[in-house]
Amino acid sequence: MRSLIAVILLAVIGLGLALCLSDMPFGANHIATAEKAGRHYLEKAPQETGSANVVTAVVVTYRGFDTLGEVTVLFIAAIGLGMVLYRRKKQEGKPPQPASFVLQTGCCFLFPLILILGVYIFLHGHLTPGGGFQGGVIVASGFLLAYIGCADMKIRHRWFEATESLAGSAFVIAGMAGLAAGGSFLMNFMPKGNFNTLFSAGIIPIIYIAIGLKVGAELTGLIANLLERAE
Amino acid sequence: MVNPVLLLAVPLGLAFLTPLLAFISDRIARYVPVAGMLFNCVVSVSLIPSVLNRPIIVQTGGFAPPFGINLVAGPLGITLAAVIALVGLAVSVYGLAYVKEGATVKYHVLYLLLLTGATGVVLTGDIFNLFVFYEILCISSYALVAYSGDKNGVEAAVKYLIQGSIGSGLALIGIAILYGVFGTLNMADIARNIGSTGILNTTLFIALAFMVAGFGVEAAVFPLNAWLPDAHSSAPAPISAILSGIAIKVGIYVVVRIVFTVFGAPSMFMLLVVIGVVTLLIGEMSAFSQNNIKRMLAYSSVGQVGLIVFALGMATTGGISGGLFQIISHALAKSLLFLATGYMIYRSGSMEISSLQGMGKRMPLTCCAFTIGAFSLVGLPPFAGFPGKFMIVRAAIAQQQHLFTFLIALVLFGTIIEACYFFRIVQAAYFTGPREEPDAGKQRREEAPLFALAPMLGLLVFIIALGVYPEPVIRLLDSCAAELLNRFDYIKGVLG
Repeated sequence: MRSLIAVILLAVIGLGLALCLSDMPFGANHIATAEKAGRHYLEKAPQETGSANVVTAVVVTYRGFDTLGEVTVLFIAAIGLGMVLYRRKKQEGKPPQPASFVLQTGCCFLFPLILILGVYIFLHGHLTPGGGFQGGVIVASGFLLAYIGCADMKIRHRWFEATESLAGSAFVIAGMAGLAAGGSFLMNFMPKGNFNTLFSAGIIPIIYIAIGLKVGAELTGLIANLLERAE
Repeated sequence: MVNPVLLLAVPLGLAFLTPLLAFISDRIARYVPVAGMLFNCVVSVSLIPSVLNRPIIVQTGGFAPPFGINLVAGPLGITLAAVIALVGLAVSVYGLAYVKEGATVKYHVLYLLLLTGATGVVLTGDIFNLFVFYEILCISSYALVAYSGDKNGVEAAVKYLIQGSIGSGLALIGIAILYGVFGTLNMADIARNIGSTGILNTTLFIALAFMVAGFGVEAAVFPLNAWLPDAHSSAPAPISAILSGIAIKVGIYVVVRIVFTVFGAPSMFMLLVVIGVVTLLIGEMSAFSQNNIKRMLAYSSVGQVGLIVFALGMATTGGISGGLFQIISHALAKSLLFLATGYMIYRSGSMEISSLQGMGKRMPLTCCAFTIGAFSLVGLPPFAGFPGKFMIVRAAIAQQQHLFTFLIALVLFGTIIEACYFFRIVQAAYFTGPREEPDAGKQRREEAPLFALAPMLGLLVFIIALGVYPEPVIRLLDSCAAELLNRFDYIKGVLG
């Protein structure tokens, strides 16, 4: 009976929402006001930021403060998980079976390639699709593969924590440098360089390198924390 | 003049650096939150005179609003930032001695980030940036509730996580609808587009409903507060103090900012008033029936939230400054109560109210702090709770409507319930001896350590000072109320 009432209530709410939102022009471009910021970014971003990738320009410069917040959210998630797992005892169980020779060789072969791809993605964040977060996730996926393939794999947590900490501080310091040089937090204080080349777009590549390293180290730490507990 | 963005950048940078500092020594890492909050305290207090003149609009990235993210350091934002920093400082000093076991470095990092998130929410002028800082606040509090790692803590944290995430999801949908309609995320720009008619079309109404319901979860108003008693009672004492003292106030701030400034929706005021009174009565009655002291304090927070929302919903200068005064006095008093209770529970080994009998002899200073906190919360002069409640009553009578006279009578009835359950504890602590035990006569004094007594004393001084001499703060809060009531000044201040 209760679930019936719940279903009916949900249906009423859903129907009401659908009716109210049916006249909303999602994705349409016939309302001038509805694309105010978006139009500005598309037209002005290349010259204002020097970045060939407009998405990156929005993420790192126009809304760079949000990105600092998002990096912090990920940092909190990683630290929070570490804190909650801290008091858990390791589960006793059978030691995992070592992977087969083919899998181990494959992992050893792919691991450096995946790292290079990840670094490539975040280095070229201002030129090609992708950026710091995506590159960092790819780096972490390389470590995940190594953890699965090689049974005796153990990362040195201290190094990863140090990377995380340094990269996060570098982001904040880059922002402070903008405040000191240009009077506004996270402002670009470096030359914009030649458009659409690796050394362009001012502080965007620096921030994306910091984000890439931070996200990579954080997610690797998460994976290691979870897998080492499960052993 | 100091740039208000440092209120966020410095604690964030410190939090990122803490794991590195911990390599050198865990001792240094413990003092990082103290340093960060001390910095914020000094900076925000020093900014108050200049923001009273005119609000400081801070751009980030060098882009003018609405294209870049901006901070609005107005009277309201800076006042709340100062309160957050002050209470945060006191509680972080308390944490130095109290937090000894477990992943202490991680605790201190999360604690500092929680307060940074709260500061960001009250300072930002961009609705999505507000959401980001709100998430920083919420996610670190989910983790900290589970700090003890026992079954109760984890269960409470998971409940909190589920309800909080649903709330955040709803709020995000509301923000997305606003962006879809107006193509901008700047709060002043959205407010300008919504205009002054006060009549919302259905799409905007849905956005408002989503956002009020979503952010209302953290504000713990009546139908959305099921997580609160568990989370506030299972967390370690300093975290309970911050959740009750700061985190729910931030939720209230967000709801009020959205209703008053962004939407300018007078039709919502009556809803706030009614929700406030219902929350108040339910909170106080639930608190009355608790035997667990931390749960009692948590339910009492629900009641106080109701009172604050009721006052703010009146939407008059008197009502809003009364509500804001109550925010400050409750932040001070409730964190003091949780801090005092922390060591009382630690010494007695139980959260049952009956186990506090005779505590007045065993821990006289801590008990005295608890008593003053309780008296302030009930609203006895000369403590900080009295001017707040008095202003609210005066504002309600000044409405000159029978409805408000009736509602304020209900509110005062709630206060009587509140007095009953607090006096019951004070009586147990001072006027009943310890239970009959073989060594009852040998009970000696076991005062809380110095690091715990010092912040309690600090909060106590502020409670008494505010109660004896509230005028300067009331003047400050009057200009905060003006900021909320004149949304066109806000829009003009940001967009020129």
